[in-house]
Amino acid sequence: MNPKQLACVILLMIIGAMTYTAQIIHKTVATTRAEAEDAETAAVTAENERSTAEIETAVFKANTEEVRRFLRSWLPSIEHVQTQQEAEQTIQLSLRERGISLVRSIKTESKQSAGNKLIPKSVITTLTIEEEFAKVLNWLGDIERRLPTARMKVVQITGGSSGTQLKMDVSFETPIFDLAAADADKKKVVPKPTPKVTKS
Amino acid sequence: MNEYLCHDFKSPRIDTSRRLPSSFRAIPVIFYVALIGCAYVMTMDYFNYKKALKQKVDAQERQTLSETQRDSFKNEKSDLESEATKAEQVAQWMEGARNIQPIAVKIARAVQTDTRITQVALERSEQVPANIALTIHLNGSKVSMELAAIEAALGQLLYRSASPQQTKNGDVVEYHSTLVRQAD
Repeated sequence: MNPKQLACVILLMIIGAMTYTAQIIHKTVATTRAEAEDAETAAVTAENERSTAEIETAVFKANTEEVRRFLRSWLPSIEHVQTQQEAEQTIQLSLRERGISLVRSIKTESKQSAGNKLIPKSVITTLTIEEEFAKVLNWLGDIERRLPTARMKVVQITGGSSGTQLKMDVSFETPIFDLAAADADKKKVVPKPTPKVTKS
Repeated sequence: MNEYLCHDFKSPRIDTSRRLPSSFRAIPVIFYVALIGCAYVMTMDYFNYKKALKQKVDAQERQTLSETQRDSFKNEKSDLESEATKAEQVAQWMEGARNIQPIAVKIARAVQTDTRITQVALERSEQVPANIALTIHLNGSKVSMELAAIEAALGQLLYRSASPQQTKNGDVVEYHSTLVRQAD
Protein backbone atom coordinates (compact mmCIF):
# COMPACT_ATOMS: atom_id res chain seq x y z
CA MET A 1 0.00 0.00 0.00
CA ASN A 2 1.56 3.22 -1.10
CA PRO A 3 1.29 6.50 0.86
CA LYS A 4 -1.54 7.80 -1.34
CA GLN A 5 -3.64 4.74 -0.71
CA LEU A 6 -2.83 4.95 2.96
CA ALA A 7 -3.97 8.57 3.00
CA CYS A 8 -7.23 7.56 1.33
CA VAL A 9 -7.81 4.85 3.87
CA ILE A 10 -7.17 7.28 6.72
CA LEU A 11 -9.62 9.77 5.17
CA LEU A 12 -12.21 7.04 4.80
CA MET A 13 -11.73 6.12 8.45
CA ILE A 14 -12.14 9.75 9.50
CA ILE A 15 -15.30 10.00 7.35
CA GLY A 16 -16.62 6.86 9.01
CA ALA A 17 -15.82 8.15 12.49
CA MET A 18 -17.49 11.49 11.79
CA THR A 19 -20.58 9.85 10.36
CA TYR A 20 -20.81 7.47 13.30
CA THR A 21 -20.44 10.32 15.82
CA ALA A 22 -23.04 12.37 13.99
CA GLN A 23 -25.42 9.41 14.08
CA ILE A 24 -24.90 8.89 17.80
CA ILE A 25 -25.52 12.56 18.47
CA HIS A 26 -28.58 12.55 16.22
CA LYS A 27 -30.02 9.55 18.05
CA THR A 28 -29.48 11.26 21.39
CA VAL A 29 -31.23 14.37 20.11
CA ALA A 30 -34.09 12.29 18.71
CA THR A 31 -34.49 10.61 22.11
CA THR A 32 -34.50 13.97 23.86
CA ARG A 33 -37.08 15.30 21.40
CA ALA A 34 -39.24 12.24 21.97
CA GLU A 35 -38.96 12.80 25.71
CA ALA A 36 -39.88 16.44 25.23
CA GLU A 37 -42.94 15.41 23.21
CA ASP A 38 -43.93 12.90 25.89
CA ALA A 39 -43.50 15.58 28.53
CA GLU A 40 -45.61 17.95 26.44
CA THR A 41 -48.34 15.30 26.11
CA ALA A 42 -48.22 14.66 29.85
CA ALA A 43 -48.40 18.40 30.50
CA VAL A 44 -51.43 18.76 28.23
CA THR A 45 -53.09 15.81 29.97
CA ALA A 46 -52.36 17.32 33.37
CA GLU A 47 -53.75 20.67 32.21
CA ASN A 48 -56.91 18.97 30.99
CA GLU A 49 -57.26 17.17 34.31
CA ARG A 50 -56.74 20.43 36.16
CA SER A 51 -59.32 22.11 33.97
CA THR A 52 -61.80 19.27 34.55
CA ALA A 53 -61.18 19.35 38.30
CA GLU A 54 -61.66 23.13 38.31
CA ILE A 55 -64.95 22.88 36.42
CA GLU A 56 -66.21 20.04 38.59
CA THR A 57 -65.31 21.94 41.75
CA ALA A 58 -66.95 25.12 40.52
CA VAL A 59 -70.13 23.28 39.47
CA PHE A 60 -70.30 21.37 42.76
CA LYS A 61 -69.67 24.56 44.69
CA ALA A 62 -72.48 26.33 42.86
CA ASN A 63 -74.87 23.39 43.19
CA THR A 64 -74.31 23.01 46.91
CA GLU A 65 -74.01 26.69 47.75
CA GLU A 66 -77.51 26.92 49.20
CA VAL A 67 -77.29 23.83 51.36
CA ARG A 68 -73.84 24.83 52.63
CA ARG A 69 -75.12 28.31 53.42
CA PHE A 70 -77.92 26.61 55.32
CA LEU A 71 -75.34 24.72 57.39
CA ARG A 72 -73.33 27.88 58.06
CA SER A 73 -76.44 29.68 59.25
CA TRP A 74 -77.17 26.84 61.69
CA LEU A 75 -73.61 26.46 62.98
CA PRO A 76 -74.04 28.84 65.96
CA SER A 77 -77.10 26.90 67.14
CA ILE A 78 -75.36 23.57 66.59
CA GLU A 79 -72.29 24.65 68.52
CA HIS A 80 -74.41 26.17 71.27
CA VAL A 81 -75.22 22.80 72.84
CA GLN A 82 -72.31 20.36 72.88
CA THR A 83 -72.88 18.45 76.13
CA GLN A 84 -75.73 16.94 78.09
CA GLN A 85 -75.04 19.35 80.95
CA GLU A 86 -75.50 22.34 78.65
CA ALA A 87 -78.84 20.98 77.46
CA GLU A 88 -80.00 20.39 81.05
CA GLN A 89 -78.85 23.83 82.15
CA THR A 90 -80.69 25.44 79.26
CA ILE A 91 -83.91 23.63 80.23
CA GLN A 92 -83.56 24.59 83.89
CA LEU A 93 -82.83 28.19 82.99
CA SER A 94 -85.84 28.33 80.70
CA LEU A 95 -88.13 26.88 83.38
CA ARG A 96 -86.83 29.36 85.93
CA GLU A 97 -87.00 32.41 83.69
CA ARG A 98 -90.48 31.55 82.42
CA GLY A 99 -91.77 31.11 85.94
CA ILE A 100 -92.74 27.45 85.63
CA SER A 101 -92.89 26.53 89.28
CA LEU A 102 -94.80 23.28 89.13
CA VAL A 103 -92.64 20.74 87.40
CA ARG A 104 -94.25 17.41 88.12
CA SER A 105 -91.45 15.36 86.64
CA ILE A 106 -88.32 15.85 84.66
CA LYS A 107 -86.03 13.19 83.31
CA THR A 108 -83.08 13.41 80.96
CA GLU A 109 -81.28 10.49 79.47
CA SER A 110 -78.51 10.13 76.98
CA LYS A 111 -79.05 8.28 73.75
CA GLN A 112 -76.14 6.95 71.70
CA SER A 113 -76.41 6.50 67.94
CA ALA A 114 -73.40 4.51 66.81
CA GLY A 115 -74.40 4.57 63.16
CA ASN A 116 -74.86 8.31 63.01
CA LYS A 117 -71.50 10.05 62.87
CA LEU A 118 -72.96 13.53 62.73
CA ILE A 119 -75.24 13.04 65.74
CA PRO A 120 -73.51 10.30 67.75
CA LYS A 121 -75.29 11.33 70.93
CA SER A 122 -78.50 13.05 71.86
CA VAL A 123 -80.28 13.97 75.05
CA ILE A 124 -83.86 12.81 75.53
CA THR A 125 -85.77 15.02 77.94
CA THR A 126 -89.16 14.08 79.27
CA LEU A 127 -90.97 16.45 81.58
CA THR A 128 -94.39 17.25 82.83
CA ILE A 129 -95.29 20.77 83.87
CA GLU A 130 -98.47 22.35 85.12
CA GLU A 131 -99.07 26.06 84.82
CA GLU A 132 -101.34 28.68 83.36
CA PHE A 133 -102.23 28.41 79.70
CA ALA A 134 -100.07 31.36 78.58
CA LYS A 135 -97.07 30.33 80.66
CA VAL A 136 -97.15 26.77 79.39
CA LEU A 137 -97.28 27.74 75.74
CA ASN A 138 -94.77 30.53 76.20
CA TRP A 139 -92.39 28.11 77.87
CA LEU A 140 -92.79 25.71 74.96
CA GLY A 141 -91.91 28.50 72.55
CA ASP A 142 -89.02 29.57 74.74
CA ILE A 143 -87.45 26.12 74.93
CA GLU A 144 -87.79 25.76 71.16
CA ARG A 145 -86.05 29.10 70.78
CA ARG A 146 -83.26 28.24 73.21
CA LEU A 147 -82.76 24.78 71.78
CA PRO A 148 -83.57 25.33 68.12
CA THR A 149 -82.09 22.01 67.05
CA ALA A 150 -84.19 20.05 69.53
CA ARG A 151 -86.84 17.84 68.04
CA MET A 152 -90.15 17.79 69.94
CA LYS A 153 -91.28 14.20 69.84
CA VAL A 154 -94.42 14.34 71.91
CA VAL A 155 -96.39 17.31 73.19
CA GLN A 156 -99.56 16.50 75.06
CA ILE A 157 -101.67 19.21 76.63
CA THR A 158 -104.54 18.41 78.93
CA GLY A 159 -106.45 20.15 81.67
CA GLY A 160 -104.63 20.79 84.92
CA SER A 161 -105.64 20.36 88.51
CA SER A 162 -107.51 23.66 88.47
CA GLY A 163 -109.59 25.33 85.78
CA THR A 164 -106.99 27.89 84.82
CA GLN A 165 -104.11 25.51 84.60
CA LEU A 166 -102.84 23.23 81.85
CA LYS A 167 -100.78 20.15 82.19
CA MET A 168 -98.23 19.56 79.48
CA ASP A 169 -96.24 16.40 78.91
CA VAL A 170 -93.30 17.03 76.64
CA SER A 171 -90.65 14.75 75.30
CA PHE A 172 -87.93 16.11 73.11
CA GLU A 173 -84.58 15.09 71.74
CA THR A 174 -81.65 17.50 71.75
CA PRO A 175 -78.94 16.39 69.34
CA ILE A 176 -75.28 16.74 70.23
CA PHE A 177 -73.73 17.33 66.84
CA ASP A 178 -70.15 16.22 66.22
CA LEU A 179 -69.14 18.04 63.05
CA ALA A 180 -65.46 17.17 63.44
CA ALA A 181 -66.13 13.44 63.41
CA ALA A 182 -68.35 13.85 60.39
CA ASP A 183 -65.43 15.43 58.52
CA ALA A 184 -63.70 12.09 58.46
CA ASP A 185 -66.62 10.58 56.65
CA LYS A 186 -66.16 12.18 53.27
CA LYS A 187 -68.69 10.69 50.97
CA LYS A 188 -69.71 11.58 47.48
CA VAL A 189 -72.83 13.68 47.54
CA VAL A 190 -75.22 14.19 44.74
CA PRO A 191 -76.57 17.71 45.14
CA LYS A 192 -80.25 17.67 45.96
CA PRO A 193 -82.76 20.47 45.91
CA THR A 194 -82.08 22.49 49.01
CA PRO A 195 -84.63 22.10 51.77
CA LYS A 196 -85.88 25.43 52.95
CA VAL A 197 -86.12 24.86 56.66
CA THR A 198 -86.82 27.69 58.99
CA LYS A 199 -87.92 27.47 62.53
CA SER A 200 -91.34 29.01 62.30
CA MET B 1 27.83 24.04 -8.79
CA ASN B 2 28.36 20.51 -9.78
CA GLU B 3 27.28 19.90 -13.36
CA TYR B 4 26.14 16.39 -12.66
CA LEU B 5 23.82 17.47 -9.93
CA CYS B 6 22.20 20.14 -12.13
CA HIS B 7 21.57 17.57 -14.74
CA ASP B 8 20.16 15.26 -12.13
CA PHE B 9 17.63 17.83 -10.95
CA LYS B 10 16.41 18.51 -14.43
CA SER B 11 16.09 14.90 -15.47
CA PRO B 12 12.51 13.48 -15.33
CA ARG B 13 11.76 11.54 -12.14
CA ILE B 14 10.31 8.11 -12.24
CA ASP B 15 7.26 7.61 -9.81
CA THR B 16 8.16 5.45 -6.96
CA SER B 17 4.44 4.64 -6.22
CA ARG B 18 1.67 3.89 -8.64
CA ARG B 19 -1.01 6.51 -9.34
CA LEU B 20 -4.32 6.15 -7.52
CA PRO B 21 -7.27 4.80 -9.46
CA SER B 22 -9.55 7.63 -10.66
CA SER B 23 -12.36 6.55 -8.28
CA PHE B 24 -10.10 7.15 -5.31
CA ARG B 25 -9.69 10.76 -6.35
CA ALA B 26 -13.25 11.38 -5.07
CA ILE B 27 -12.26 10.44 -1.54
CA PRO B 28 -10.89 13.87 -0.57
CA VAL B 29 -14.03 15.44 -2.04
CA ILE B 30 -16.18 13.04 -0.07
CA PHE B 31 -14.15 13.86 3.04
CA TYR B 32 -14.82 17.59 2.69
CA VAL B 33 -18.50 16.99 1.90
CA ALA B 34 -18.76 14.68 4.94
CA LEU B 35 -16.95 17.21 7.08
CA ILE B 36 -19.33 20.01 6.07
CA GLY B 37 -22.35 17.73 6.29
CA CYS B 38 -21.45 16.43 9.73
CA ALA B 39 -20.72 19.95 10.95
CA TYR B 40 -24.14 21.08 9.69
CA VAL B 41 -25.99 18.10 11.16
CA MET B 42 -24.21 18.37 14.50
CA THR B 43 -24.87 22.10 14.70
CA MET B 44 -28.53 21.60 13.94
CA ASP B 45 -28.66 18.71 16.41
CA TYR B 46 -27.09 20.88 19.06
CA PHE B 47 -29.75 23.57 18.64
CA ASN B 48 -32.50 20.97 18.44
CA TYR B 49 -31.15 19.33 21.57
CA LYS B 50 -31.15 22.63 23.45
CA LYS B 51 -34.66 23.41 22.21
CA ALA B 52 -35.96 19.94 23.11
CA LEU B 53 -34.34 20.15 26.51
CA LYS B 54 -35.99 23.52 27.19
CA GLN B 55 -39.33 22.25 25.89
CA LYS B 56 -39.06 19.21 28.15
CA VAL B 57 -38.23 21.26 31.23
CA ASP B 58 -41.06 23.73 30.45
CA ALA B 59 -43.52 20.90 29.93
CA GLN B 60 -42.47 19.24 33.17
CA GLU B 61 -42.90 22.49 35.03
CA ARG B 62 -46.36 22.96 33.50
CA GLN B 63 -47.23 19.40 34.37
CA THR B 64 -46.11 19.83 37.97
CA LEU B 65 -48.01 23.10 38.28
CA SER B 66 -51.15 21.61 36.74
CA GLU B 67 -50.97 18.56 38.98
CA THR B 68 -50.56 20.75 42.04
CA GLN B 69 -53.55 22.85 41.04
CA ARG B 70 -55.56 19.73 40.18
CA ASP B 71 -54.83 18.25 43.62
CA SER B 72 -55.77 21.55 45.19
CA PHE B 73 -59.11 21.56 43.35
CA LYS B 74 -59.71 17.94 44.29
CA ASN B 75 -59.02 18.72 47.94
CA GLU B 76 -61.35 21.70 47.77
CA LYS B 77 -64.06 19.54 46.20
CA SER B 78 -63.52 16.90 48.83
CA ASP B 79 -63.97 19.53 51.55
CA LEU B 80 -67.08 20.81 49.81
CA GLU B 81 -68.46 17.29 49.60
CA SER B 82 -67.85 16.79 53.28
CA GLU B 83 -69.53 20.09 54.11
CA ALA B 84 -72.45 19.31 51.80
CA THR B 85 -72.87 15.88 53.39
CA LYS B 86 -73.03 17.45 56.82
CA ALA B 87 -75.39 20.13 55.57
CA GLU B 88 -77.70 17.49 54.05
CA GLN B 89 -77.79 15.59 57.33
CA VAL B 90 -78.37 18.73 59.38
CA ALA B 91 -81.12 19.79 56.96
CA GLN B 92 -82.68 16.35 57.23
CA TRP B 93 -82.66 16.64 61.03
CA MET B 94 -84.01 20.18 61.03
CA GLU B 95 -86.78 19.18 58.65
CA GLY B 96 -88.11 17.05 61.51
CA ALA B 97 -87.41 19.65 64.20
CA ARG B 98 -89.76 22.43 63.21
CA ASN B 99 -91.35 24.30 66.06
CA ILE B 100 -94.49 22.83 67.51
CA GLN B 101 -95.49 25.70 69.73
CA PRO B 102 -97.03 27.73 66.86
CA ILE B 103 -99.25 24.74 66.08
CA ALA B 104 -100.47 24.54 69.65
CA VAL B 105 -101.08 28.30 69.73
CA LYS B 106 -102.96 28.23 66.40
CA ILE B 107 -105.18 25.42 67.63
CA ALA B 108 -105.92 27.25 70.87
CA ARG B 109 -106.73 30.48 69.09
CA ALA B 110 -108.85 28.88 66.38
CA VAL B 111 -111.59 27.58 68.68
CA GLN B 112 -114.39 29.71 70.03
CA THR B 113 -114.93 30.22 73.74
CA ASP B 114 -118.00 27.98 73.86
CA THR B 115 -115.98 25.00 72.64
CA ARG B 116 -113.78 23.22 75.10
CA ILE B 117 -110.59 21.39 74.16
CA THR B 118 -109.88 18.70 76.68
CA GLN B 119 -106.74 17.35 75.10
CA VAL B 120 -104.29 18.21 72.37
CA ALA B 121 -101.57 15.75 71.50
CA LEU B 122 -98.88 16.31 68.91
CA GLU B 123 -96.62 13.39 68.19
CA ARG B 124 -93.91 13.19 65.59
CA SER B 125 -93.75 10.22 63.31
CA GLU B 126 -90.70 8.04 63.94
CA GLN B 127 -90.31 7.21 60.27
CA VAL B 128 -91.05 10.68 58.88
CA PRO B 129 -90.30 13.18 61.66
CA ALA B 130 -91.58 16.06 59.55
CA ASN B 131 -95.07 14.62 59.87
CA ILE B 132 -96.96 15.17 63.10
CA ALA B 133 -99.83 13.07 64.36
CA LEU B 134 -102.44 15.41 65.80
CA THR B 135 -105.08 14.32 68.27
CA ILE B 136 -107.66 16.74 69.66
CA HIS B 137 -110.45 15.94 72.06
CA LEU B 138 -113.04 18.64 72.15
CA ASN B 139 -116.67 19.11 73.00
CA GLY B 140 -119.12 21.78 72.09
CA SER B 141 -122.03 22.49 69.81
CA LYS B 142 -120.13 23.48 66.68
CA VAL B 143 -117.36 20.96 66.65
CA SER B 144 -117.30 20.52 62.86
CA MET B 145 -116.94 24.25 62.33
CA GLU B 146 -114.25 24.44 64.97
CA LEU B 147 -112.30 21.63 63.36
CA ALA B 148 -112.57 23.36 59.99
CA ALA B 149 -111.29 26.54 61.62
CA ILE B 150 -108.39 24.60 63.17
CA GLU B 151 -107.48 23.08 59.82
CA ALA B 152 -107.63 26.50 58.18
CA ALA B 153 -105.44 27.97 60.92
CA LEU B 154 -102.91 25.18 60.51
CA GLY B 155 -102.98 25.82 56.77
CA GLN B 156 -101.55 29.25 57.52
CA LEU B 157 -98.54 27.45 58.99
CA LEU B 158 -98.32 25.44 55.76
CA TYR B 159 -99.57 22.27 57.41
CA ARG B 160 -102.13 20.15 55.62
CA SER B 161 -104.28 17.63 57.48
CA ALA B 162 -103.89 14.21 55.96
CA SER B 163 -106.37 11.40 56.68
CA PRO B 164 -108.47 13.31 59.21
CA GLN B 165 -110.81 11.17 61.26
CA GLN B 166 -113.49 12.06 63.76
CA THR B 167 -115.02 9.76 66.28
CA LYS B 168 -117.67 10.75 68.74
CA ASN B 169 -117.40 9.41 72.24
CA GLY B 170 -120.34 10.78 74.16
CA ASP B 171 -120.05 14.56 74.17
CA VAL B 172 -116.41 14.44 73.23
CA VAL B 173 -115.32 14.38 69.62
CA GLU B 174 -111.94 12.83 69.01
CA TYR B 175 -110.17 14.22 66.01
CA HIS B 176 -107.12 12.52 64.54
CA SER B 177 -105.07 13.62 61.58
CA THR B 178 -101.52 13.72 60.33
CA LEU B 179 -100.10 17.15 59.75
CA VAL B 180 -97.99 17.20 56.63
CA ARG B 181 -95.83 20.18 55.97
CA GLN B 182 -96.31 21.63 52.52
CA ALA B 183 -93.54 23.13 50.45
CA ASP B 184 -92.86 26.82 51.05
